[in-house]
Amino acid sequence: MRLPGKRGVLWAVVAFNLLCLALPTAIVLVASFTAGNYIRFPPDGFSLRWYQRLLERTEFQDAFLRSVWVAVICTLVSIPSGTLAALAMARYRFRRLRALQVYFLLPFTIPLIVSGIGMMLLFGEIGILGRLWPVGIAACIINLPFMIWAVSASVNALDPDLENAAANCGAPPLQAFLTVTLPAVMPGVITGALLMFVLAFNEFIVSLLLTDARTVTLPVLIYNSIRSIITPDLAAVSVVYILVAGIAIWLLDRLVGLDVFLKSK
Amino acid sequence: MQAALAPRRPVAWRLLDAAEAAAGFLWPPRFAAATRFLLLAPGFLLVFVLVVGLVWVAGFSLHELDTATYRLRPEYTFANYAHILGKPVYLRIIARSVAAAFIVTAVAVALAFPYAYVMVRTPSAALRKLLLISLFLPFFIGQVVRAYGWLIVLGQQGVLNTGLGWLGLGPFSMIASYGAVIVGLVQFMLPFAVLLIAPAVTAIPEEIELASEGLGADWVRTFLHVTLPMARPGLIAASVVVFTLTVTDYAMPEILGGGTTDFIANAIYDAYFQISDAGLGSALSIVLVALGSVLVALIFAWMGSGTLAFVREGER
Repeated sequence: MRLPGKRGVLWAVVAFNLLCLALPTAIVLVASFTAGNYIRFPPDGFSLRWYQRLLERTEFQDAFLRSVWVAVICTLVSIPSGTLAALAMARYRFRRLRALQVYFLLPFTIPLIVSGIGMMLLFGEIGILGRLWPVGIAACIINLPFMIWAVSASVNALDPDLENAAANCGAPPLQAFLTVTLPAVMPGVITGALLMFVLAFNEFIVSLLLTDARTVTLPVLIYNSIRSIITPDLAAVSVVYILVAGIAIWLLDRLVGLDVFLKSK
Repeated sequence: MQAALAPRRPVAWRLLDAAEAAAGFLWPPRFAAATRFLLLAPGFLLVFVLVVGLVWVAGFSLHELDTATYRLRPEYTFANYAHILGKPVYLRIIARSVAAAFIVTAVAVALAFPYAYVMVRTPSAALRKLLLISLFLPFFIGQVVRAYGWLIVLGQQGVLNTGLGWLGLGPFSMIASYGAVIVGLVQFMLPFAVLLIAPAVTAIPEEIELASEGLGADWVRTFLHVTLPMARPGLIAASVVVFTLTVTDYAMPEILGGGTTDFIANAIYDAYFQISDAGLGSALSIVLVALGSVLVALIFAWMGSGTLAFVREGER
């Protein structure tokens, strides 16, 4: 029996993947431009009316701004905490490194619904439930491993002798950190910060538990609207996400290069 | 005169010296041995919020709901756990979630590996970029929007049914089914799987594959006996992440399952917010945590933590 060609098999799978990955995004994009009142295929003509309607609906604009705020808080908190934790684990000796690694993976190993309920109970107890900034902190906590990973990848690639050389040339610790260590791990910090922003902007289940009608974020509002009826205005809102994702990818590619995700540790 | 002749030091230097002095005052050199703990502290405290929350949930799970007052009784009891184990509906939900996790993990990792392989090995920079962008675009678009996209694709008047209609088939009702949830989850997990597998493929020298083929193995044998085993760290990491994310998922079963295919997370949410039984919801949460931890611990103990570790141990 003759084997099917390697290229053919690989290409078939890759093509299927590409279709599968692109389909929901492409469909949402097409649906948002329909002129009809319902989403169906092929769409009933082209119009921008659903975008126009979006400009009239302040609840979506407010939710969008709240989501941006949550993402900003998450990013600002995660940059120092994640970067320093990654540096500490890569640069210093810990007797229980394995336990520490497991500890910092807890945000991944504890299911999001459980993390969300735990924080809901805790935030309720100390009286900060119903405010917006704790949602940003929560998004930072549950995604922190992404930040630590991104920075760790850069730290592991940095030669410790460079820092030793700086110290040897008389640089005090802070100066060595700011002029040698930080610039070297900057690609990791930028990658991590972009990831944290986008993940917080998209965060759903924990926000569902931590927000109420006054602090609802955009993904939760979209979810609540899906349950009632599917109209094309939701597709128009979703295009906001496609745009934000596109900008984030462009930035990531410009500043760091998407190839960093292909590097082996 | 002397002072004017001396070269002025740049402002940045003086600022840096001041910052250095401040740092030295706040954190004197004799604390140097503890610096590593200072660096770790902010992240440690953030994650500690989760630990406190988890302890809280565990505490709630040991109290039964008093249906007269709708408050939890103060006595400690395992009644909530007995309730879960005694009710077939909860066992069915657990089985459904775990089965979905196995299916989604198998399918997503199988689809992701060739994608990661082509992405790493292709000589064309343009193709690599296309594959990366196609991966990151959905990765950066959240679960709710993607589930909404699948609703439009799979719906009664959706793309798929329209296409099948032209062929004289259907319409089929595809939403609110286990299959729709699986499709949505596989698509959601693909970027995670590819991004965790790709670094492991990069680490395999291409010469080894060439050597295998040079020694007479066809590509399938090379693939099975050389490439796959060497990519094991990536496969482990991808399987662990996809499995745990699937078994704990809430949004896909809720939106694409239409209330008919609840996973454990949906049952937890309903216990808290529909039957207002925080005790039962907490017990279900602890069951979910235990289930996930046991499986991950088994995989780690058996195969190591793969590419999931932040820092590789025993390397420095």
